[in-house]
Amino acid sequence: MRIGIPHCGNAYIIAEALVQKIGNGESELIIPPPTSQRTLDLGVKYSPVEACLPFKLTLGNLIEACELGADTLIHARGTGVCRLGYYVKEQEQIIRDLGYNAHFLTLDVSQHRFSSIMRLMKDLINNVPWPKIISALHFAMEKLFALDKMEKVVHKVRAIELEKGRANQIYREAVKAIGEAKTAKEVKNTTKEYIKKLDQMPRDPTADPVKVSIVGEVFVVLDPFANMDIEMELGKLGVEVERTMSLSRWVKYRLFLNYLGVNEWKEVHEAAMPYLKRDVGGDGWESVGEKVLYAREGYDGMVHLAPFTCMPEIVAQNIIPSTKEDIPVLTVLYDEQMARPGMITRLEAFVDLLKFRRRRRRK
Amino acid sequence: MVRVGIPRALSYYQYYPGWKVFFEALGAETVVSPQTNKAIFTAGNSRAVAETCLPVKLFFGHVISLVDKCDYMFIPALRSLGRKAYYCSKFIGLPDMTRALVPGCPPILDPEIDLNKGRRSLYHAIYNLGRHFSSDKSKIKKALEQAERAHLAYRREMSGKGITPIQALDEMHRDEDNSYLEPEISPSLSVAVIGHQYVIYEDYINHRLISRLQAMGFRVFTPEMAEQEALDIAMTNLGGAPHWSFEADIIGAGEHYLEAKVNGIISVAVFGCGPDSMMIDMVRHRASELKTPFLHLSLDEHTSEGGLVTRLEAFLDMVKRRKRVCE
Repeated sequence: MRIGIPHCGNAYIIAEALVQKIGNGESELIIPPPTSQRTLDLGVKYSPVEACLPFKLTLGNLIEACELGADTLIHARGTGVCRLGYYVKEQEQIIRDLGYNAHFLTLDVSQHRFSSIMRLMKDLINNVPWPKIISALHFAMEKLFALDKMEKVVHKVRAIELEKGRANQIYREAVKAIGEAKTAKEVKNTTKEYIKKLDQMPRDPTADPVKVSIVGEVFVVLDPFANMDIEMELGKLGVEVERTMSLSRWVKYRLFLNYLGVNEWKEVHEAAMPYLKRDVGGDGWESVGEKVLYAREGYDGMVHLAPFTCMPEIVAQNIIPSTKEDIPVLTVLYDEQMARPGMITRLEAFVDLLKFRRRRRRK
Repeated sequence: MVRVGIPRALSYYQYYPGWKVFFEALGAETVVSPQTNKAIFTAGNSRAVAETCLPVKLFFGHVISLVDKCDYMFIPALRSLGRKAYYCSKFIGLPDMTRALVPGCPPILDPEIDLNKGRRSLYHAIYNLGRHFSSDKSKIKKALEQAERAHLAYRREMSGKGITPIQALDEMHRDEDNSYLEPEISPSLSVAVIGHQYVIYEDYINHRLISRLQAMGFRVFTPEMAEQEALDIAMTNLGGAPHWSFEADIIGAGEHYLEAKVNGIISVAVFGCGPDSMMIDMVRHRASELKTPFLHLSLDEHTSEGGLVTRLEAFLDMVKRRKRVCE
């Protein structure tokens, strides 16, 4: 079995870690090349015109995996209100039409997640003892937490570094090193080492970064290709970025703890209640709630990301301006027509506005 | 008498007769907004963010036109109308979006309809809705039963007589003359128009597509003209278990009429419709397998009548020529 997966930020590192720990030679993991313009072009060419950007990007990834000989493709499937529930149905047909002989295995991410992940594991790896699977999962999660920890630090350092771009360079090296680590201990040590490096970087003593939170649809928030490295671009403009959503959090809760009745978004949902009373699918409810919370916490602004035509985020977008708790919000919608300079110009204008507001407030 | 406002948009076309019976049984009066006009369109368009799809923008326009004409606004939050089948996010968020965008709106009645959770949750939502009008539980139950009967009768009326919701609703208001006049000459060519009710019957969006097609001499089929069971079967055959509650109207109707060998299929969707962007492709694929002409019209607030007519004429010419050549 040759297993292909789509990309979403650093998610491939989990798959790699799992395979490294439980791989038995029968099956092989095919990680498609990092998402590139070619991936997007392929996705756009074969997708329905009005499909959303995550659909097009993941389709591009899967086609590239098929080109490398994948015969089994893994994809997420939502069973809720968003289009994600239709991805597999549609992509299966497109890939069949292209002449590849690949079948899909799905991972349900909205309901019955736990049984789904167990079923998926069983489909992929029979006759591997459970303790081994659990220790592999643990190892993969270890890597994920390490990556997200790095991310949190780099978000802060980017805004105040003296030599622009250096923090990002260290971060890239760290991602690579963590990906290559062989044991949990190695992961821990590497993370420590790189965090130290970041901490010791020369900083601009006069820097006074504005604080901006990032919220929105999970895929464009987590995938740097999809969101055109918005966090890095904001960092370059001297902005300290904060976001609640992260891959480790998503995997930890969506795939495991939600099953036990833990709701990590409880506080956010309660904050959203006066304005949006119910889940509208995707991450719309969370976007509204997070605006309320970030405004209460005194953030300078919020950037709201969504794929163009994303239904849940349009609901959020309509409601966000009407909340009593007020902070400036910039909504950025992504599609294949979007160009990076356009986004940067908008970010610059937004950050100028935030700085101006802050100066006026302090006077 | 308490007046309940019902915007003439979105799920109005599907469920209005049932709603009317329900509220009247509870002693309330229903007020429906007028046909979409320029003022409604502009009002709705100016409130919602630009990315919102046109029918939802029109919905806000209709709400605005009703603001001072009713005591309650009825905006159900439709989440699911079947097992594991869902509505679009915008339907679920409608009551809250209305609150945010139309500040002067009367109190909103927003029962959450989620049949995925079973009928008990539906009854619960309906009781809570009915309590605004009556504290008598059995009266609410009776009203619900009457409403269900009225809805089924409405649905049967359309599939039995082969008429559109607009014709069926007109007929409801015209008691003395109960017969719908069949056109005297039955046209030899037929096209099926598939899409959401609020797109194919909203003349303001589609520039009177259906009457235009009829005037051009075509027999027009729409999803409601088939029986619900037939649509469900066709849908399962083509697309498997549905993900959307309205999949039967698009995939089901597409497959049903393709199997019935209509001469062409016209699918109508609004720009930016999430569910349609995925579903239409499935029908298009099937139509190309069966070599049936297929036209997809994507409409938005800028769609000009002239452009639409040109595309229609070209498509219909092709359908006619094909018929001639095949014979």
